[in-house]
Amino acid sequence: MSFMKKILNNRHPYMFIAPSLILLILFSIIPITIAFFISFTNLDLKGLVDFSSVSFIGLENYKALLTDDRFIKAIFNTVFYVLIGVPLVVILSLSIALLLNYGTSKLFTFFRSVYYMPSITNIVAIAVIWGFLYNTEYGLINYILSFLSVDNIPWLNEPTLAKISLIIVAVWKSLGLNMIIFLAALQGIPKDYYEAAEIDGANGFQKMLYITLPLLRFATFFVTVTTLIGWIQFFEEPFVMTQGGPLDGTLSIALFIYQEGFQFNEFGYAAAGSFILFIIIIIATLIQFKLRKSDTEY
Amino acid sequence: MKKFFGGFLIVILLIAFLSACGNDDKGEGSGGNSDTITVWAMGEEGKLLKEMAKGFEEENEGLTVEVQALPWENAHDKLLTAVASGNGPDVLQLGATWIPEFAEAGALLDLRDYVKDNPEFAKENYFDGAQTLMEYNDEVVGIPWYVDTRVLYYRTDILAEISYDEAPKNWEELEDAAQKLADRGDGQWGLDIDQKDQITPFIFAWQNGYQADIENNDLNLDSPEFLGAMEYYTSFFENGYSQQNEGLDIIQAFANGSKAMFFSGPWMINQLNDQVPDIEGDWSVATMPGNTSNTSSLGGSVFSVFHTSDNVDNAMKFVSYMNETETQIEWMEMSNALPARVEAWEDPKLSEDEKYSVFGEQLNDAIPGIQVEEFERIAQELLNSLERVNVGGADLEDEMEKFNQTAQQLLE
Amino acid sequence: MTIIMMIGGILVSIPFLWMISSAFKPENEILAIPPTIFPENPTFDNFIKLFTEMNFLVYLKNTLIIVAVSSVGLLFNGMAGYGFAKFEFKGKEKLFYLVLATMMIPGQVTMIPVYLLLNEMGLTNTMSGIILPGLVAAFNIFLFRQFMATIPTSLIEAARLDGAGEFYIFFRLIIPVAKPIFAVQAVLMFIAAWNSFLWPLIIANDESLYTLSVGLSLLKGQYANNFALQMAGAAFMVVPIMIIFGFFQKYIVEGFTMSGIK
Repeated sequence: MSFMKKILNNRHPYMFIAPSLILLILFSIIPITIAFFISFTNLDLKGLVDFSSVSFIGLENYKALLTDDRFIKAIFNTVFYVLIGVPLVVILSLSIALLLNYGTSKLFTFFRSVYYMPSITNIVAIAVIWGFLYNTEYGLINYILSFLSVDNIPWLNEPTLAKISLIIVAVWKSLGLNMIIFLAALQGIPKDYYEAAEIDGANGFQKMLYITLPLLRFATFFVTVTTLIGWIQFFEEPFVMTQGGPLDGTLSIALFIYQEGFQFNEFGYAAAGSFILFIIIIIATLIQFKLRKSDTEY
Repeated sequence: MKKFFGGFLIVILLIAFLSACGNDDKGEGSGGNSDTITVWAMGEEGKLLKEMAKGFEEENEGLTVEVQALPWENAHDKLLTAVASGNGPDVLQLGATWIPEFAEAGALLDLRDYVKDNPEFAKENYFDGAQTLMEYNDEVVGIPWYVDTRVLYYRTDILAEISYDEAPKNWEELEDAAQKLADRGDGQWGLDIDQKDQITPFIFAWQNGYQADIENNDLNLDSPEFLGAMEYYTSFFENGYSQQNEGLDIIQAFANGSKAMFFSGPWMINQLNDQVPDIEGDWSVATMPGNTSNTSSLGGSVFSVFHTSDNVDNAMKFVSYMNETETQIEWMEMSNALPARVEAWEDPKLSEDEKYSVFGEQLNDAIPGIQVEEFERIAQELLNSLERVNVGGADLEDEMEKFNQTAQQLLE
Repeated sequence: MTIIMMIGGILVSIPFLWMISSAFKPENEILAIPPTIFPENPTFDNFIKLFTEMNFLVYLKNTLIIVAVSSVGLLFNGMAGYGFAKFEFKGKEKLFYLVLATMMIPGQVTMIPVYLLLNEMGLTNTMSGIILPGLVAAFNIFLFRQFMATIPTSLIEAARLDGAGEFYIFFRLIIPVAKPIFAVQAVLMFIAAWNSFLWPLIIANDESLYTLSVGLSLLKGQYANNFALQMAGAAFMVVPIMIIFGFFQKYIVEGFTMSGIK
């Protein structure tokens, strides 16, 4: 029996993962390896046409990055985004999922779609409508606040505030996806767990604390890790709404890389920036995995 | 569950079928000295160009033109991959600011011989500013197609109220008018300056007599002409004539009168007509108010031939067709883009139009951004510096000194 | 609870509703301040313009092909997730970290290398070239793995004892049990494929390979933006997503019916 199992287990897992793995190696691992070599060169647009003009410059790109004020600022901003954005996304999307899971009537089903809407709203529409909401003089938010005799707030015109404004947009946009992941996980909790708890006299809060949340550990971990990775690569919102301004206050690392690589054609420099970003993400993710290990082991 | 599974199967069958069809679509790409000329053009222009190409095909039997339209926002990405693989079109529409970088990279074919032999491509046929776009390092890299330039848009009714029956003619008048307009009250502004626009600071600089010395690799960014212009630029924000914050969309602000003057290009005529038809007749355009000169910027597009094309003769036939004065007029009517050929402006549709004729006049004194590969980068650095002064309250002199160093470093 | 949910829902959906209503506004109304929630002069012009100016059927066909082929990706992702969740094999940890690592690669950095690779393989200007790079994604494999891990191993063991083959187990046992997560992923996959933009543009040297998203972005000018037209396009693109979501969410709601198995 155990011999049989060994044979089965030797061949099949590889067959299951092979198609995905081959594609990922081909279109992610190999290209990133190429990019790794590029990061030690001065490749620019000219170099793409004529490879002989590309030269190996060792760690120059990395050295230059670490003294580039804009890059340092981008790192600082990205840390700011992550520290505020990630907890917000996890807590809010979990709360909404719990809220929506609370009832089963048609109304709740309908609101499931409603909360999903932001994640499928077109990015141009997002830029236009949020740009209007945030407008200092004519924006809806300041208009409402003026009734509470709050002075006009420059939502997108002050570096720190602009970061917060973009975080709000990004949180709003990512609620739908994570909410669905939580919902799917909630559906996976067998009903008899709750029934058993009820027999033991547990109230709603206790059920949530002792059954729901522990059983959502997988989903929470998943959402946290992917949200973290996504937010370290924060790009779209500053790209469409502020282009990194004011005073580079909303510039993220990913946006910095995009500008260097695709606007200014400094591919070597951009590749080096990507590697620093890559390493930051790996470290952050490893910490997450470590935390989770210690969490399951007690 | 059965339904879910069945749906899945159907989908898989569909794939097998469709991907089989899909792979048949394999096109030919460029290359091959063929009868097909491939052309890349941007956005709306790309779509309209297909119409124009029909006329060419009628005149040149046996030749077909395949126009591929690229979205403006992602055209740069697409061009980068084309340069990387050498897999490009025969003819390529290039925006004014992109010419130096692609020319420097060697992605554009040198057309010197074609230009030498064909009087229709002679430099003198085009506006002075457009001539600058044709050449890079003594090579001819593009044939001007259409041009644009910035002029002053103003509300005639509102300027009349502050006793300007005509648009401001020079810096003093512009400043004076801006002051009076801003004095109308809270939320009223003098002159709208788009702080994200890269060329505006340079327009002021040129108007103040600034010139870059490209041959000696000296941008002259520490010259008194340049610094004086930057002082003038920032003074509009310092004095509260121009709004620092994003504020209202310029078209709406122009319509409600809170921003009665701004600089923009020919595309704005249609936008104003379409979006705020109520103020028709209450606004006009005028050539730039200047200091030592009334210079404005020149933008637009050229046609270039991609360096890997092996269909150059036919490609140039197409460019030549687009270069004819009649075609240029036809194109203007179709797309509202302004002809690059001076001769085309004799057409009454342009010379007798109250607004277009202003653009025609301005084009005689319009120059493109400095023709170095790093210009876009330098212009962006300048905007960042100016933003630190206007919004962050930094000292102009310090910022300009730092900017000058950065810019010279970029150039080397 | 219901009231909190409703207030939150309304707040969250304002931009979406505005996008839909803008699609029916004439150009002079779209940027009006204050904005109108409902169009004052509703018009279908934007949609008419959309369909007349776009090579619509070709773009739609390409988009549908991409959507269809992407479901193979869904299957691959599911298989890989299952493999990582329910098997012990040599190098499992390392390979899984390799998969995760691909999720951490900043997207833009691989664009040019991937293009050059496809060019070497002769896949530029083909449908395969457009589809292959995005067919599988680490995010989806990870998501599958997380949820497949919760499927009781005893269930699989029992099937094996009955003599079922591994692929039979996967298709007849695992997929039905993992329905909610397949439904979630199908929605995600559909959205991604429906909106696919960058590769169709980069790979195609021929407009007959463009997708709807690429076609829409052609409507944007260098300086002038017709927002009404863009909103009409965006609204049009969203309708099928809403339908798909409405359909699949039934499966998400239905949930595991594991009680019988336990």
